[in-house]
Amino acid sequence: MSTSEAGSGPDGAGGADGDSTGTGAGGDPDGTRGSGGLRTALSRTRAATALTLRRRDSLLVVAGVTVIYLLGYLWAIGDLAPGFGGYGLVLAADPLGTLFRTTSGVLSFAPVALVRAGPLAYQASLNTLVGLALALLVGLNLGLTYLTRKQPAACGLESSAGVLAGIPALLSGTACCGPVVLIALGIQASGVLLTAFQVLLPAAALVLLGSLVLVGRQVRPEAMTGANG
Amino acid sequence: MTRLTRRQALASLASLGAVALAGCTEGAGGGGGDGSDATVPAADARLPLPMEPAELREAAVSGGPDKDGIPSIDDPSFIAPSEVSFLADGDPVFGVVRDGVAKAYPQKILAHHEIVNDELAGDPVSVTYCPLTGTALGFDRGGTTFGVSGRLVNNNLIMYDRATETWWPQILATAVPGPWNAEPQTRSLREFRLVWTTWGRWRDQHPQTRVLSRETGHPRNYARDPYGGYNPRDGYYAGGSPLFPPLREDDRYGPKRVVMGARAPEGAVAFLKDSLREAGVLTGQLGDVPVLAVHDPRYDTGYVYRNPDEATYEATDGRVRGPTGENAFDQLPLDRVHTFDAMWFAWAGFYPETNVYE
Repeated sequence: MSTSEAGSGPDGAGGADGDSTGTGAGGDPDGTRGSGGLRTALSRTRAATALTLRRRDSLLVVAGVTVIYLLGYLWAIGDLAPGFGGYGLVLAADPLGTLFRTTSGVLSFAPVALVRAGPLAYQASLNTLVGLALALLVGLNLGLTYLTRKQPAACGLESSAGVLAGIPALLSGTACCGPVVLIALGIQASGVLLTAFQVLLPAAALVLLGSLVLVGRQVRPEAMTGANG
Repeated sequence: MTRLTRRQALASLASLGAVALAGCTEGAGGGGGDGSDATVPAADARLPLPMEPAELREAAVSGGPDKDGIPSIDDPSFIAPSEVSFLADGDPVFGVVRDGVAKAYPQKILAHHEIVNDELAGDPVSVTYCPLTGTALGFDRGGTTFGVSGRLVNNNLIMYDRATETWWPQILATAVPGPWNAEPQTRSLREFRLVWTTWGRWRDQHPQTRVLSRETGHPRNYARDPYGGYNPRDGYYAGGSPLFPPLREDDRYGPKRVVMGARAPEGAVAFLKDSLREAGVLTGQLGDVPVLAVHDPRYDTGYVYRNPDEATYEATDGRVRGPTGENAFDQLPLDRVHTFDAMWFAWAGFYPETNVYE
Protein backbone atom coordinates (compact mmCIF):
# COMPACT_ATOMS: atom_id res chain seq x y z
CA MET A 1 0.00 0.00 0.00
CA SER A 2 1.27 3.40 -0.92
CA THR A 3 1.52 6.40 1.32
CA SER A 4 -1.16 8.20 -0.57
CA GLU A 5 -3.52 5.27 -0.15
CA ALA A 6 -2.81 5.26 3.51
CA GLY A 7 -3.34 8.96 3.77
CA SER A 8 -6.68 8.89 2.05
CA GLY A 9 -8.01 5.97 3.98
CA PRO A 10 -10.82 5.99 6.54
CA ASP A 11 -8.61 7.58 9.12
CA GLY A 12 -8.15 10.64 6.98
CA ALA A 13 -10.04 13.88 7.31
CA GLY A 14 -12.29 12.97 4.42
CA GLY A 15 -12.96 9.42 5.55
CA ALA A 16 -16.61 8.59 5.92
CA ASP A 17 -16.18 6.64 9.16
CA GLY A 18 -14.03 9.29 10.64
CA ASP A 19 -16.38 12.04 9.75
CA SER A 20 -19.47 10.34 10.91
CA THR A 21 -18.30 9.73 14.41
CA GLY A 22 -17.70 13.20 15.61
CA THR A 23 -15.53 13.98 18.55
CA GLY A 24 -17.98 14.49 21.35
CA ALA A 25 -18.15 12.57 24.59
CA GLY A 26 -19.32 9.02 23.95
CA GLY A 27 -18.39 9.35 20.26
CA ASP A 28 -15.73 7.50 18.25
CA PRO A 29 -12.70 9.68 18.08
CA ASP A 30 -10.67 6.96 16.33
CA GLY A 31 -13.40 6.20 13.87
CA THR A 32 -12.85 2.48 14.52
CA ARG A 33 -16.07 1.49 16.21
CA GLY A 34 -19.33 0.37 14.72
CA SER A 35 -19.99 -1.84 11.72
CA GLY A 36 -17.20 -0.45 9.63
CA GLY A 37 -14.89 -0.08 12.57
CA LEU A 38 -12.94 -3.29 12.12
CA ARG A 39 -12.43 -2.61 8.46
CA THR A 40 -11.22 0.83 9.31
CA ALA A 41 -8.91 -0.42 12.01
CA LEU A 42 -7.44 -3.06 9.68
CA SER A 43 -6.97 -0.52 6.98
CA ARG A 44 -5.19 1.82 9.33
CA THR A 45 -3.09 -1.02 10.65
CA ARG A 46 -1.99 -2.00 7.16
CA ALA A 47 -1.09 1.58 6.41
CA ALA A 48 0.67 2.06 9.70
CA THR A 49 2.59 -1.20 9.27
CA ALA A 50 3.72 -0.15 5.83
CA LEU A 51 4.79 3.18 7.21
CA THR A 52 6.64 1.52 10.06
CA LEU A 53 8.61 -0.57 7.62
CA ARG A 54 9.39 2.40 5.40
CA ARG A 55 10.72 4.73 8.07
CA ARG A 56 14.29 4.07 8.97
CA ASP A 57 13.87 4.78 12.67
CA SER A 58 10.80 2.59 13.15
CA LEU A 59 12.28 -0.11 10.90
CA LEU A 60 15.31 -0.21 13.18
CA VAL A 61 13.01 -0.70 16.13
CA VAL A 62 11.19 -3.55 14.35
CA ALA A 63 14.42 -5.23 13.22
CA GLY A 64 16.13 -4.87 16.57
CA VAL A 65 13.19 -6.18 18.56
CA THR A 66 12.60 -9.04 16.11
CA VAL A 67 16.20 -10.23 16.35
CA ILE A 68 16.30 -9.92 20.14
CA TYR A 69 12.98 -11.68 20.62
CA LEU A 70 13.88 -14.48 18.20
CA LEU A 71 17.16 -15.10 20.00
CA GLY A 72 15.30 -15.05 23.32
CA TYR A 73 12.70 -17.46 22.01
CA LEU A 74 15.29 -19.91 20.68
CA TRP A 75 17.16 -19.72 23.98
CA ALA A 76 13.96 -20.24 25.98
CA ILE A 77 12.94 -23.37 24.05
CA GLY A 78 16.51 -24.71 24.14
CA ASP A 79 17.24 -24.56 20.42
CA LEU A 80 20.05 -22.11 21.10
CA ALA A 81 22.21 -23.02 24.08
CA PRO A 82 25.78 -23.53 25.20
CA GLY A 83 27.38 -26.46 23.41
CA PHE A 84 30.46 -28.63 23.71
CA GLY A 85 32.51 -26.22 21.61
CA GLY A 86 34.00 -26.68 18.20
CA TYR A 87 32.51 -25.98 14.83
CA GLY A 88 30.50 -28.15 12.51
CA LEU A 89 27.16 -29.21 11.14
CA VAL A 90 25.28 -32.40 11.99
CA LEU A 91 22.26 -33.38 9.92
CA ALA A 92 19.42 -35.68 10.92
CA ALA A 93 19.61 -39.15 9.41
CA ASP A 94 16.40 -38.33 7.53
CA PRO A 95 16.21 -34.54 7.29
CA LEU A 96 13.09 -34.34 5.16
CA GLY A 97 11.25 -36.92 7.21
CA THR A 98 12.22 -35.07 10.35
CA LEU A 99 11.37 -31.57 9.20
CA PHE A 100 7.65 -31.75 9.87
CA ARG A 101 7.82 -34.19 12.78
CA THR A 102 6.22 -32.63 15.83
CA THR A 103 7.57 -33.44 19.26
CA SER A 104 5.06 -31.99 21.71
CA GLY A 105 2.05 -30.29 20.26
CA VAL A 106 1.42 -28.96 16.82
CA LEU A 107 3.91 -26.12 16.94
CA SER A 108 6.95 -27.90 18.36
CA PHE A 109 9.22 -29.50 15.78
CA ALA A 110 12.16 -31.91 15.84
CA PRO A 111 15.54 -30.49 14.84
CA VAL A 112 16.88 -31.36 11.41
CA ALA A 113 20.36 -30.01 11.95
CA LEU A 114 22.75 -29.07 14.72
CA VAL A 115 25.10 -26.18 14.13
CA ARG A 116 28.12 -26.08 16.42
CA ALA A 117 29.46 -22.57 16.62
CA GLY A 118 32.11 -22.35 19.27
CA PRO A 119 30.51 -21.94 22.66
CA LEU A 120 27.01 -22.08 21.22
CA ALA A 121 24.98 -24.81 19.56
CA TYR A 122 21.92 -24.15 17.45
CA GLN A 123 19.29 -26.79 16.66
CA ALA A 124 17.69 -25.87 13.35
CA SER A 125 14.04 -26.74 12.94
CA LEU A 126 10.74 -25.24 11.96
CA ASN A 127 10.68 -23.88 15.50
CA THR A 128 12.85 -21.10 14.16
CA LEU A 129 10.21 -20.12 11.62
CA VAL A 130 7.54 -20.19 14.31
CA GLY A 131 9.75 -18.03 16.50
CA LEU A 132 10.44 -15.66 13.63
CA ALA A 133 6.74 -15.15 13.02
CA LEU A 134 6.20 -14.36 16.68
CA ALA A 135 9.26 -12.14 16.75
CA LEU A 136 8.00 -10.17 13.77
CA LEU A 137 4.68 -9.62 15.49
CA VAL A 138 6.41 -8.41 18.63
CA GLY A 139 8.69 -6.23 16.52
CA LEU A 140 5.82 -4.69 14.61
CA ASN A 141 3.93 -4.07 17.82
CA LEU A 142 6.86 -2.16 19.25
CA GLY A 143 7.53 -0.43 15.95
CA LEU A 144 3.98 0.82 15.86
CA THR A 145 4.15 1.78 19.50
CA TYR A 146 7.21 3.79 18.66
CA LEU A 147 5.28 5.60 15.95
CA THR A 148 2.39 6.40 18.23
CA ARG A 149 4.88 7.99 20.60
CA LYS A 150 6.32 10.00 17.78
CA GLN A 151 3.07 11.28 16.41
CA PRO A 152 1.75 14.55 17.84
CA ALA A 153 -1.42 13.13 19.33
CA ALA A 154 0.12 10.02 20.78
CA CYS A 155 -2.18 8.20 23.13
CA GLY A 156 -3.40 4.84 24.31
CA LEU A 157 -2.26 2.45 26.99
CA GLU A 158 -2.80 -0.43 24.57
CA SER A 159 0.23 0.62 22.65
CA SER A 160 2.63 -0.70 25.27
CA ALA A 161 0.50 -3.42 26.83
CA GLY A 162 0.14 -5.59 23.72
CA VAL A 163 3.79 -6.48 23.56
CA LEU A 164 3.43 -8.34 26.86
CA ALA A 165 1.63 -10.98 24.84
CA GLY A 166 5.03 -12.00 23.53
CA ILE A 167 6.16 -13.11 26.98
CA PRO A 168 4.08 -16.29 27.43
CA ALA A 169 5.35 -17.68 24.15
CA LEU A 170 8.81 -17.66 25.69
CA LEU A 171 7.53 -20.15 28.27
CA SER A 172 6.17 -22.59 25.72
CA GLY A 173 9.33 -24.67 25.32
CA THR A 174 9.03 -28.22 26.59
CA ALA A 175 11.71 -30.56 27.82
CA CYS A 176 11.60 -34.28 27.20
CA CYS A 177 8.84 -34.44 29.81
CA GLY A 178 7.03 -31.30 30.71
CA PRO A 179 7.53 -27.63 30.18
CA VAL A 180 11.01 -26.40 30.95
CA VAL A 181 9.76 -23.47 32.92
CA LEU A 182 7.92 -25.74 35.37
CA ILE A 183 11.09 -27.72 35.95
CA ALA A 184 13.05 -24.54 36.43
CA LEU A 185 10.54 -23.16 38.89
CA GLY A 186 9.87 -26.48 40.64
CA ILE A 187 6.15 -26.24 39.91
CA GLN A 188 4.19 -29.47 39.71
CA ALA A 189 2.40 -30.03 36.45
CA SER A 190 -1.06 -31.27 35.65
CA GLY A 191 -2.94 -32.22 32.51
CA VAL A 192 -4.73 -28.90 32.51
CA LEU A 193 -1.50 -27.02 32.87
CA LEU A 194 0.16 -28.97 30.06
CA THR A 195 -2.79 -28.21 27.81
CA ALA A 196 -2.49 -24.58 28.74
CA PHE A 197 1.17 -24.65 27.75
CA GLN A 198 0.32 -26.13 24.38
CA VAL A 199 -1.96 -23.21 23.61
CA LEU A 200 0.43 -20.57 24.90
CA LEU A 201 2.05 -20.09 21.56
CA PRO A 202 -1.01 -19.79 19.32
CA ALA A 203 -2.70 -17.68 21.99
CA ALA A 204 0.29 -15.36 22.06
CA ALA A 205 0.17 -15.04 18.28
CA LEU A 206 -3.51 -14.13 18.37
CA VAL A 207 -3.05 -11.57 21.12
CA LEU A 208 -0.12 -10.05 19.29
CA LEU A 209 -2.21 -9.73 16.14
CA GLY A 210 -5.01 -8.11 18.10
CA SER A 211 -2.59 -5.80 19.77
CA LEU A 212 -1.16 -4.84 16.41
CA VAL A 213 -4.58 -3.71 15.29
CA LEU A 214 -5.22 -1.89 18.55
CA VAL A 215 -2.01 0.04 18.17
CA GLY A 216 -2.14 0.38 14.41
CA ARG A 217 -5.51 2.05 14.43
CA GLN A 218 -4.08 4.91 16.44
CA VAL A 219 -1.38 5.75 13.94
CA ARG A 220 -2.25 8.41 11.48
CA PRO A 221 0.23 8.05 8.64
CA GLU A 222 -0.51 11.50 7.31
CA ALA A 223 0.50 12.99 10.65
CA MET A 224 3.85 11.23 10.48
CA THR A 225 4.97 12.36 7.06
CA GLY A 226 6.66 15.45 8.44
CA ALA A 227 8.39 13.61 11.22
CA ASN A 228 10.12 10.96 9.15
CA GLY A 229 13.33 10.04 10.78
CA MET B 1 21.07 -49.61 61.24
CA THR B 2 17.47 -48.71 61.71
CA ARG B 3 14.52 -50.47 60.19
CA LEU B 4 11.76 -48.10 59.21
CA THR B 5 8.17 -49.02 58.50
CA ARG B 6 6.29 -47.68 55.47
CA ARG B 7 3.86 -45.15 55.48
CA GLN B 8 2.32 -32.61 46.73
CA ALA B 9 -0.18 -30.67 46.22
CA LEU B 10 -0.53 -28.66 42.98
CA ALA B 11 0.91 -25.22 43.25
CA SER B 12 -1.22 -22.25 42.41
CA LEU B 13 -0.50 -21.07 38.93
CA ALA B 14 -2.61 -17.98 38.88
CA SER B 15 0.39 -15.74 38.84
CA LEU B 16 1.86 -17.59 35.87
CA GLY B 17 -1.39 -17.18 34.03
CA ALA B 18 -1.39 -13.55 34.82
CA VAL B 19 2.04 -13.08 33.42
CA ALA B 20 1.10 -14.95 30.37
CA LEU B 21 -1.99 -14.33 30.29
CA ALA B 22 14.59 -61.27 36.69
CA GLY B 23 14.26 -65.15 35.00
CA CYS B 24 13.05 -65.88 31.54
CA THR B 25 10.96 -67.82 29.07
CA GLU B 26 7.70 -67.04 27.33
CA GLY B 27 7.11 -64.08 25.12
CA ALA B 28 4.33 -61.63 24.53
CA GLY B 29 2.79 -62.38 21.20
CA GLY B 30 3.05 -59.94 18.38
CA GLY B 31 0.31 -58.88 16.07
CA GLY B 32 -0.15 -55.14 16.37
CA GLY B 33 2.28 -52.30 16.14
CA ASP B 34 4.86 -52.72 13.45
CA GLY B 35 3.02 -55.72 12.03
CA SER B 36 5.81 -58.10 12.89
CA ASP B 37 5.47 -61.38 14.72
CA ALA B 38 8.17 -60.27 17.08
CA THR B 39 7.92 -61.20 20.74
CA VAL B 40 9.01 -59.43 23.87
CA PRO B 41 10.82 -61.86 26.15
CA ALA B 42 9.03 -62.13 29.48
CA ALA B 43 10.29 -63.05 32.92
CA ASP B 44 9.29 -66.26 34.69
CA ALA B 45 7.77 -64.42 37.59
CA ARG B 46 5.68 -61.29 37.62
CA LEU B 47 6.94 -58.26 39.49
CA PRO B 48 4.68 -56.54 42.02
CA LEU B 49 2.35 -53.74 40.94
CA PRO B 50 1.08 -50.99 43.23
CA MET B 51 -2.49 -51.27 41.96
CA GLU B 52 -4.55 -53.05 39.35
CA PRO B 53 -3.18 -52.67 35.81
CA ALA B 54 -6.29 -50.80 34.71
CA GLU B 55 -5.80 -48.31 37.52
CA LEU B 56 -2.26 -47.70 36.38
CA ARG B 57 -3.61 -46.77 32.98
CA GLU B 58 -5.92 -44.30 34.64
CA ALA B 59 -3.01 -42.86 36.61
CA ALA B 60 -0.97 -42.22 33.47
CA VAL B 61 -0.56 -38.63 32.36
CA SER B 62 0.80 -36.98 29.29
CA GLY B 63 4.32 -35.77 29.88
CA GLY B 64 3.98 -33.28 27.09
CA PRO B 65 5.71 -34.98 24.18
CA ASP B 66 3.84 -36.98 21.57
CA LYS B 67 4.36 -40.72 20.98
CA ASP B 68 7.99 -40.98 19.88
CA GLY B 69 8.26 -37.22 20.38
CA ILE B 70 11.27 -38.30 22.40
CA PRO B 71 13.03 -40.40 19.78
CA SER B 72 14.66 -43.66 20.83
CA ILE B 73 18.09 -44.39 19.42
CA ASP B 74 17.58 -47.33 17.11
CA ASP B 75 20.92 -47.42 15.32
CA PRO B 76 23.51 -46.64 17.97
CA SER B 77 27.19 -46.29 17.22
CA PHE B 78 30.04 -46.51 19.68
CA ILE B 79 33.44 -44.96 20.10
CA ALA B 80 36.59 -45.68 22.06
CA PRO B 81 37.40 -43.84 25.30
CA SER B 82 40.19 -41.98 23.53
CA GLU B 83 37.59 -40.42 21.25
CA VAL B 84 35.38 -39.22 24.09
CA SER B 85 35.75 -35.48 24.43
CA PHE B 86 32.32 -34.61 25.74
CA LEU B 87 32.37 -36.34 29.13
CA ALA B 88 33.96 -35.15 32.36
CA ASP B 89 35.11 -37.75 34.85
CA GLY B 90 32.18 -36.97 37.13
CA ASP B 91 29.48 -37.23 34.47
CA PRO B 92 27.08 -40.14 34.95
CA VAL B 93 27.16 -43.14 32.62
CA PHE B 94 25.17 -46.36 32.68
CA GLY B 95 27.52 -49.29 32.25
CA VAL B 96 27.07 -52.92 31.40
CA VAL B 97 29.43 -55.81 30.63
CA ARG B 98 28.35 -58.87 28.71
CA ASP B 99 30.64 -61.59 27.41
CA GLY B 100 33.62 -59.46 28.28
CA VAL B 101 32.45 -56.47 26.25
CA ALA B 102 31.85 -53.31 28.26
CA LYS B 103 29.60 -50.52 27.11
CA ALA B 104 28.83 -47.13 28.61
CA TYR B 105 25.77 -45.06 27.86
CA PRO B 106 26.21 -41.40 28.86
CA GLN B 107 23.35 -39.87 30.81
CA LYS B 108 23.82 -36.70 28.78
CA ILE B 109 22.69 -38.53 25.66
CA LEU B 110 20.01 -40.67 27.29
CA ALA B 111 18.38 -37.54 28.73
CA HIS B 112 17.34 -36.71 25.18
CA HIS B 113 16.29 -40.20 24.04
CA GLU B 114 15.50 -42.28 27.13
CA ILE B 115 15.77 -45.55 25.17
CA VAL B 116 18.62 -47.08 23.17
CA ASN B 117 17.69 -50.18 21.18
CA ASP B 118 20.99 -51.98 21.03
CA GLU B 119 22.64 -55.41 21.06
CA LEU B 120 24.86 -56.87 23.73
CA ALA B 121 26.94 -59.85 22.68
CA GLY B 122 24.40 -60.43 19.92
CA ASP B 123 21.39 -60.21 22.20
CA PRO B 124 18.82 -57.52 21.35
CA VAL B 125 18.39 -55.26 24.35
CA SER B 126 17.03 -51.90 25.31
CA VAL B 127 18.92 -49.56 27.60
CA THR B 128 16.41 -47.23 29.22
CA TYR B 129 16.63 -44.15 31.38
CA CYS B 130 13.96 -41.99 32.96
CA PRO B 131 15.24 -38.53 33.94
CA LEU B 132 12.29 -37.70 36.15
CA THR B 133 12.68 -40.74 38.41
CA GLY B 134 16.46 -41.12 38.06
CA THR B 135 16.24 -44.75 36.98
CA ALA B 136 18.30 -46.70 34.43
CA LEU B 137 17.20 -50.26 33.60
CA GLY B 138 18.13 -52.74 30.89
CA PHE B 139 15.63 -55.06 29.20
CA ASP B 140 15.73 -57.85 26.67
CA ARG B 141 13.65 -56.73 23.72
CA GLY B 142 13.52 -59.84 21.54
CA GLY B 143 12.73 -59.13 17.90
CA THR B 144 11.14 -55.76 18.43
CA THR B 145 12.16 -52.38 19.75
CA PHE B 146 10.89 -50.13 22.49
CA GLY B 147 9.78 -46.55 22.02
CA VAL B 148 8.77 -43.66 24.26
CA SER B 149 5.00 -43.36 24.59
CA GLY B 150 5.04 -39.76 25.81
CA ARG B 151 3.05 -40.81 28.89
CA LEU B 152 4.20 -41.05 32.45
CA VAL B 153 2.97 -42.84 35.53
CA ASN B 154 4.31 -41.73 38.90
CA ASN B 155 6.59 -39.50 36.78
CA ASN B 156 8.12 -42.64 35.29
CA LEU B 157 8.67 -43.27 31.62
CA ILE B 158 6.06 -45.49 30.00
CA MET B 159 7.72 -47.42 27.19
CA TYR B 160 5.82 -49.23 24.49
CA ASP B 161 6.95 -52.14 22.39
CA ARG B 162 6.60 -51.64 18.68
CA ALA B 163 5.34 -55.16 18.04
CA THR B 164 2.23 -55.11 20.21
CA GLU B 165 2.13 -51.45 21.22
CA THR B 166 1.79 -52.56 24.83
CA TRP B 167 2.61 -50.06 27.56
CA TRP B 168 5.48 -50.97 29.86
CA PRO B 169 6.17 -48.54 32.74
CA GLN B 170 9.92 -48.63 33.12
CA ILE B 171 10.30 -49.21 36.88
CA LEU B 172 7.39 -51.64 37.08
CA ALA B 173 8.72 -53.43 33.97
CA THR B 174 5.32 -55.01 33.60
CA ALA B 175 2.67 -54.72 30.89
CA VAL B 176 -0.30 -52.49 31.64
CA PRO B 177 -3.29 -51.61 29.49
CA GLY B 178 -2.97 -48.59 27.29
CA PRO B 179 -4.76 -46.90 24.44
CA TRP B 180 -2.92 -48.90 21.76
CA ASN B 181 -3.27 -52.28 23.43
CA ALA B 182 -6.12 -52.36 25.91
CA GLU B 183 -5.82 -55.99 27.04
CA PRO B 184 -2.21 -57.10 27.16
CA GLN B 185 -1.27 -60.15 29.15
CA THR B 186 0.11 -58.96 32.48
CA ARG B 187 3.70 -60.10 32.47
CA SER B 188 7.08 -58.65 33.35
CA LEU B 189 10.10 -57.99 31.23
CA ARG B 190 13.42 -59.76 31.47
CA GLU B 191 15.82 -57.29 33.03
CA PHE B 192 19.53 -56.85 33.29
CA ARG B 193 21.59 -54.62 35.50
CA LEU B 194 22.91 -51.29 34.36
CA VAL B 195 25.47 -49.76 36.70
CA TRP B 196 24.87 -46.08 37.34
CA THR B 197 28.34 -44.71 37.86
CA THR B 198 30.59 -41.95 36.58
CA TRP B 199 32.59 -41.85 33.41
CA GLY B 200 35.87 -41.69 35.33
CA ARG B 201 35.05 -44.72 37.48
CA TRP B 202 33.79 -46.77 34.55
CA ARG B 203 36.77 -45.96 32.33
CA ASP B 204 39.16 -46.86 35.14
CA GLN B 205 37.55 -50.29 35.52
CA HIS B 206 37.02 -50.86 31.79
CA PRO B 207 39.70 -49.09 29.77
CA GLN B 208 38.54 -50.87 26.61
CA THR B 209 34.91 -49.92 27.06
CA ARG B 210 32.86 -48.77 24.13
CA VAL B 211 30.94 -45.53 24.61
CA LEU B 212 27.69 -44.52 22.98
CA SER B 213 28.52 -41.90 20.38
CA ARG B 214 26.83 -38.57 19.91
CA GLU B 215 26.28 -39.62 16.28
CA THR B 216 22.81 -40.88 17.05
CA GLY B 217 21.11 -39.86 13.82
CA HIS B 218 19.40 -37.12 15.75
CA PRO B 219 20.99 -33.66 15.71
CA ARG B 220 20.71 -32.81 19.41
CA ASN B 221 22.74 -30.56 21.62
CA TYR B 222 23.77 -33.09 24.23
CA ALA B 223 25.57 -30.42 26.20
CA ARG B 224 22.19 -29.19 27.36
CA ASP B 225 20.20 -31.28 29.81
CA PRO B 226 16.74 -29.73 29.95
CA TYR B 227 16.25 -30.92 33.54
CA GLY B 228 19.44 -29.74 35.19
CA GLY B 229 22.75 -31.44 35.78
CA TYR B 230 24.46 -34.19 37.78
CA ASN B 231 27.98 -32.85 37.74
CA PRO B 232 27.39 -30.93 39.93
CA ARG B 233 23.85 -31.85 40.81
CA ASP B 234 21.44 -29.03 40.08
CA GLY B 235 18.04 -28.23 38.67
CA TYR B 236 15.42 -30.94 38.89
CA TYR B 237 17.98 -33.51 40.03
CA ALA B 238 19.07 -31.48 43.04
CA GLY B 239 15.84 -31.52 45.01
CA GLY B 240 12.36 -30.14 45.16
CA SER B 241 9.16 -31.73 44.04
CA PRO B 242 8.71 -34.20 41.22
CA LEU B 243 7.30 -32.67 38.06
CA PHE B 244 3.93 -34.42 38.41
CA PRO B 245 2.25 -35.44 41.64
CA PRO B 246 3.54 -38.90 42.62
CA LEU B 247 1.20 -41.84 43.09
CA ARG B 248 1.69 -41.54 46.84
CA GLU B 249 3.34 -39.03 49.09
CA ASP B 250 5.96 -40.26 51.55
CA ASP B 251 7.86 -37.50 53.28
CA ARG B 252 10.22 -39.63 55.32
CA TYR B 253 12.96 -38.53 52.94
CA GLY B 254 13.36 -35.84 50.38
CA PRO B 255 11.69 -36.72 47.09
CA LYS B 256 14.95 -36.80 45.12
CA ARG B 257 16.96 -38.72 47.75
CA VAL B 258 18.60 -41.65 45.99
CA VAL B 259 17.87 -45.19 47.14
CA MET B 260 19.20 -48.52 45.92
CA GLY B 261 15.97 -50.36 45.36
CA ALA B 262 15.22 -54.01 44.70
CA ARG B 263 11.82 -55.54 44.05
CA ALA B 264 10.81 -59.12 43.46
CA PRO B 265 7.59 -61.13 43.62
CA GLU B 266 7.98 -61.33 47.40
CA GLY B 267 8.12 -57.55 47.94
CA ALA B 268 10.34 -54.50 47.74
CA VAL B 269 13.26 -53.14 49.71
CA ALA B 270 15.29 -49.94 49.52
CA PHE B 271 18.54 -48.77 51.07
CA LEU B 272 19.47 -45.12 51.19
CA LYS B 273 22.46 -44.88 48.91
CA ASP B 274 24.46 -42.51 51.05
CA SER B 275 23.86 -44.71 54.11
CA LEU B 276 24.99 -47.78 52.19
CA ARG B 277 28.05 -45.91 50.94
CA GLU B 278 28.99 -45.07 54.50
CA ALA B 279 28.22 -48.46 56.05
CA GLY B 280 29.57 -50.68 53.25
CA VAL B 281 27.12 -53.44 54.16
CA LEU B 282 23.53 -53.22 55.41
CA THR B 283 20.93 -55.85 56.13
CA GLY B 284 17.17 -55.84 55.73
CA GLN B 285 14.12 -57.74 54.62
CA LEU B 286 12.66 -58.22 51.16
CA GLY B 287 9.17 -59.28 52.11
CA ASP B 288 9.95 -62.02 54.58
CA VAL B 289 13.34 -62.82 53.11
CA PRO B 290 16.47 -61.47 54.82
CA VAL B 291 18.63 -59.54 52.39
CA LEU B 292 22.11 -58.08 52.36
CA ALA B 293 23.05 -54.84 50.64
CA VAL B 294 26.65 -54.28 49.63
CA HIS B 295 28.23 -51.07 48.47
CA ASP B 296 30.72 -51.32 45.61
CA PRO B 297 33.20 -48.42 45.91
CA ARG B 298 34.61 -49.11 42.46
CA TYR B 299 31.43 -47.75 40.90
CA ASP B 300 29.77 -46.15 43.91
CA THR B 301 26.81 -48.46 43.51
CA GLY B 302 25.09 -51.19 45.46
CA TYR B 303 23.84 -54.75 45.15
CA VAL B 304 21.11 -56.54 47.08
CA TYR B 305 21.40 -60.27 47.77
CA ARG B 306 18.91 -62.69 49.27
CA ASN B 307 20.55 -63.92 52.45
CA PRO B 308 18.06 -66.45 53.85
CA ASP B 309 20.55 -67.89 56.33
CA GLU B 310 21.46 -64.42 57.50
CA ALA B 311 25.12 -65.13 57.00
CA THR B 312 27.43 -62.41 58.24
CA TYR B 313 29.37 -60.39 55.71
CA GLU B 314 31.59 -57.37 56.21
CA ALA B 315 33.29 -55.00 53.83
CA THR B 316 37.06 -55.12 53.96
CA ASP B 317 39.66 -53.38 51.88
CA GLY B 318 38.28 -53.80 48.39
CA ARG B 319 36.48 -57.09 49.12
CA VAL B 320 33.59 -58.51 51.10
CA ARG B 321 34.46 -61.13 53.70
CA GLY B 322 31.88 -63.81 54.47
CA PRO B 323 31.60 -67.36 55.76
CA THR B 324 33.29 -68.75 52.64
CA GLY B 325 36.08 -66.22 52.49
CA GLU B 326 36.51 -63.03 50.49
CA ASN B 327 34.44 -62.16 47.47
CA ALA B 328 34.12 -59.36 44.97
CA PHE B 329 31.31 -56.94 45.76
CA ASP B 330 29.19 -58.17 42.90
CA GLN B 331 29.99 -61.86 43.25
CA LEU B 332 28.87 -62.97 46.66
CA PRO B 333 27.79 -66.62 46.84
CA LEU B 334 24.21 -65.49 47.31
CA ASP B 335 21.23 -64.93 45.01
CA ARG B 336 21.49 -61.39 43.70
CA VAL B 337 18.33 -59.39 43.18
CA HIS B 338 18.12 -56.84 40.39
CA THR B 339 19.01 -53.54 42.10
CA PHE B 340 18.97 -50.03 40.73
CA ASP B 341 19.17 -46.38 41.70
CA ALA B 342 15.91 -44.49 42.05
CA MET B 343 14.62 -41.28 43.48
CA TRP B 344 12.81 -41.88 46.76
CA PHE B 345 9.47 -40.45 45.67
CA ALA B 346 9.38 -42.80 42.68
CA TRP B 347 10.23 -45.85 44.76
CA ALA B 348 7.77 -45.00 47.52
CA GLY B 349 5.06 -44.23 44.97
CA PHE B 350 5.33 -47.57 43.23
CA TYR B 351 6.16 -49.69 46.27
CA PRO B 352 4.30 -48.21 49.24
CA GLU B 353 4.88 -51.34 51.34
CA THR B 354 8.62 -51.24 50.76
CA ASN B 355 11.01 -51.70 53.62
CA VAL B 356 13.61 -48.96 53.70
CA TYR B 357 16.86 -48.94 55.61
CA GLU B 358 19.47 -46.42 56.51
